[in-house]
Amino acid sequence: MKNHGELALPGAVIGASAGVVAGGLALLVGQPAGWAAATAVGLGLPMALAGGAFGLLLGAGIVRPGVFAPVGLYWLVAFPVARLLHEVLAGLLIAGRPALPADPLGFLAYQAMASLGFAIGFSWLHERIAPGWLGRIRERNPRAERLYGFYLRHAEAQWKAREGRRRARAAGRGAGPATVLRNKGES
Amino acid sequence: MDAANTPAASQPSTSSTHPSTGTTEIPPQRDAAASPGATDSRVWRAGRLEPMPIRELPDPPPSIHLLGPTVFLVALGVGMGEAYMWPRLVLVFGPEIRWLFLIGVTLQAFVMLEMARYAMATGESIFFGAARVFKPLMWFFFAVAILVYIWPGHLSTGAAAFEQVTGIPWVVTACVGLILVGILFSLASVIYPLLESLLGILIGVLVIGTAVAASLVGRWSDLTATLAGMFQFGYFPEQAMSAAWFPVLVGAIAFAGPSGMQQMWYTLHLRDSGAGMGAHIPKIRGLRSAGNEEAMPSRGFMFDTDNQQEMRKWKGWRRWVTFDAVLLFWGVTMLVTVSFTVLAQTAARQSPDVTALILEGDREASLTAMADAFASAGAPILRGVFLGFIALIGLNATLGLFDSFSRGQADMSYHFIPGMKRFGMSKLYAGFLWGVITFGILILLFGPADGPGAILDVLAFLSTLAMGAYCVVLLLVNNRMLPKPIRPGFVPNLVIGFGAVFYLGMLLYSLFRFGVVVG
Repeated sequence: MKNHGELALPGAVIGASAGVVAGGLALLVGQPAGWAAATAVGLGLPMALAGGAFGLLLGAGIVRPGVFAPVGLYWLVAFPVARLLHEVLAGLLIAGRPALPADPLGFLAYQAMASLGFAIGFSWLHERIAPGWLGRIRERNPRAERLYGFYLRHAEAQWKAREGRRRARAAGRGAGPATVLRNKGES
Repeated sequence: MDAANTPAASQPSTSSTHPSTGTTEIPPQRDAAASPGATDSRVWRAGRLEPMPIRELPDPPPSIHLLGPTVFLVALGVGMGEAYMWPRLVLVFGPEIRWLFLIGVTLQAFVMLEMARYAMATGESIFFGAARVFKPLMWFFFAVAILVYIWPGHLSTGAAAFEQVTGIPWVVTACVGLILVGILFSLASVIYPLLESLLGILIGVLVIGTAVAASLVGRWSDLTATLAGMFQFGYFPEQAMSAAWFPVLVGAIAFAGPSGMQQMWYTLHLRDSGAGMGAHIPKIRGLRSAGNEEAMPSRGFMFDTDNQQEMRKWKGWRRWVTFDAVLLFWGVTMLVTVSFTVLAQTAARQSPDVTALILEGDREASLTAMADAFASAGAPILRGVFLGFIALIGLNATLGLFDSFSRGQADMSYHFIPGMKRFGMSKLYAGFLWGVITFGILILLFGPADGPGAILDVLAFLSTLAMGAYCVVLLLVNNRMLPKPIRPGFVPNLVIGFGAVFYLGMLLYSLFRFGVVVG
């Protein structure tokens, strides 16, 4: 269970950030703490759950890291559902009764369109945050180790390429052909 | 005759030239004097400047990764055009006007791909490419950059939005921001990774936040109207052909996505990120680590375009940059404008004052009014979110703009001003950076932030002129300075040619028909 939780953490944090940032800004502009908390929880909770579940799919090898299409498809479903839950939860927390949008189908269709933007931002941030976190937990978490291996292979390939280029540059600086050309007055 | 395929007159008679590429063999006995590290003795001649040695093209990234140098273009490009100018035009002319935005951003995506073609094939900036064609062209861009980009006016809207949220006076925020930017870029050992990480996080937050904000307040009808409007090709209301609106429209099209010289600077970021042959060029370092700087080669490199293995790698690099152009650049720019347009439509529906203020054209007042409209309509949180995004857009643009300006000027100075090489690229970069920061602070405290009123029109004119000019430069550089197998095809040439006519034509039409440059 702990292993799963660790795998889910980066996605959950990014998902929750949607609610937390919203709640924090509400406080900043002077809204009552209760109102801000309701929005933060109402939006942040479902988004965190969906973000965390995405991390589990990655860990299970069902979704390949570093590719956009699966992220886009995932949030096409998860984002509208999370927003619907947000509407219901926010109504429950603020007014004491759950509230559904006036036109649920139109609402879901609109949210599905908006999900594309969220998906780009999510994958953008996830690719930045997840490798560092997986590196910290991989020794005690086999699934994290496997997923980290993917990022590691990617980084190694890039490192090798970079070292190769550095060596080539160093060798080229010694007395490369360009130097010969200049000495011959062929600049 | 194609300049690129002309062997130099002084070339020894024992050498041979591949007619398809202009690659010149240097005789083995000369190469024997070189170090064992010299792997290839052939060169590619492009223009009259120093030929480019042939080196191996590095492998493209093993998988499509989501972050690349495009982050800079997005940071620079997603600015007030997307957050304010286009939402304003939609309120004035209706969503149908957005087809012009679609044209503008799509054109910029092609420009991005063609800029990348030269930078990835040679490791040289487009400025260097322009100098290979005709050196005064490069000096034109050098002068335009100084004239247009030293004024700190771009800081004001973001800092003003920050003032609305926090109460801190905007001049204080702007000055402190300028100094922090300078310190940040001076302390970093290598500039590029720091900036990419920083902008990556900031844009990630911006994209997520904008999407969430639009999802909270928007309506299905707003979105469908906005999206459908993008395909109303040919819609041009009579009112748009007036002296009041035509220049504004031209400005909005030119400023859809990256404007002015931002696309040219992108070639420097591509090089520093190690894309394509940029891998053979050392990175720019911060002032603190300038002593560790590797010597900058006096020209770029070319790969062997006759080698099928190398061409396969080249196609891999093209796929990589195309993914960046389509999803990250085109997608994010579209997303942010669509979201802000939906927000503006919502605000206008909630408060008639917003429409009036937006129509009047006072940018700061309009943005604040839009934020207030969200607050009064039961979504108070969105006031902070909205103003926060405006401040974030301003911060992204400032970080990207100062770094890019300094990179471009340092690159041109290093290679083409005699005696500058002894300072090294990193010190020149730091010199331009602190120069523009110092000037910016002095102007913020004592002068007109946007530049002297009398030359504002000239600056706007030059900025758009530079865009038409770089389309011409792109056509010349990519079709004359690159080997045939990697030159652009018919479609990219047609689109870039259209871009040149479009930018220059609209600019001159506006000037002669209405006597006004872009708005």
